[in-house]
Amino acid sequence: MFGPKIKLDADLYERLKTVSAAAGYATVDEFIVHLLEKAVADAEDAESEAEVRKRLQGLGYIE
Amino acid sequence: MVTVVSGLPRSGTSLMMQMLEAGGMSVLIDDQRPSDDDNPRGYYEYAPVKRLDQDNVWLAEAEGRAVKIVTPLLHHLPANLQYRVIIMQRDLDEVLRSQEAMLQRLGEPPGPDPAVMRRHFERFLEKSQQWLSQQTHIDVLECPFANVVTGPQPEIARIADFLKLELDQQAMAGVVQPQLYRQRAGTNG
Repeated sequence: MFGPKIKLDADLYERLKTVSAAAGYATVDEFIVHLLEKAVADAEDAESEAEVRKRLQGLGYIE
Repeated sequence: MVTVVSGLPRSGTSLMMQMLEAGGMSVLIDDQRPSDDDNPRGYYEYAPVKRLDQDNVWLAEAEGRAVKIVTPLLHHLPANLQYRVIIMQRDLDEVLRSQEAMLQRLGEPPGPDPAVMRRHFERFLEKSQQWLSQQTHIDVLECPFANVVTGPQPEIARIADFLKLELDQQAMAGVVQPQLYRQRAGTNG
């Protein structure tokens, strides 16, 4: 895969290697990308929910 | 069975409540929020709904009746009751424009850029639909607002069938006033 590279602590990389293999991922990269995608999606969902809630409060539909 | 009229604010939920009432259904509302330019014929709201996340005791009063609950509060509905939920669906750009006009009239800050807000709503609606599809205590009927306003009879028949009620469908159609359909897609007003 071509694109930005991220430096990881060697110890962390070894732990990721162990866990990703146990979880059935073909490569550590695949595992890390999956984790990051999930983390980003969760953060975006939380942000969207907060903004929707704020909008509804402004409109007087929720307290 | 509790009938819930839901959707995003400014998606036609008040109109649907009026239609159900005209059709002969008992509606759970109060007079806490008076009618205004945004909803000239009233909001058809019940104030305790706004605190559904903290108190749901009042839901016993909604048994056999219709109550308006905006989509972000649906996941606070307790699973010990059964619900038929009519979700009003309206073009998201129309909803956003109508919300922005209402915020302005209320003197509230406009919030994020419309394109950003649109993305927030899209993401939120996707999660909500996913959640609703997994709930065994909630039956859902999606009802397009544009269809209700431009030709209500088929939608009214679908609603009566969904609710399994003998509703006065002619009276329901009589409530619809297309001139109140503002902020149409592709227009500025």
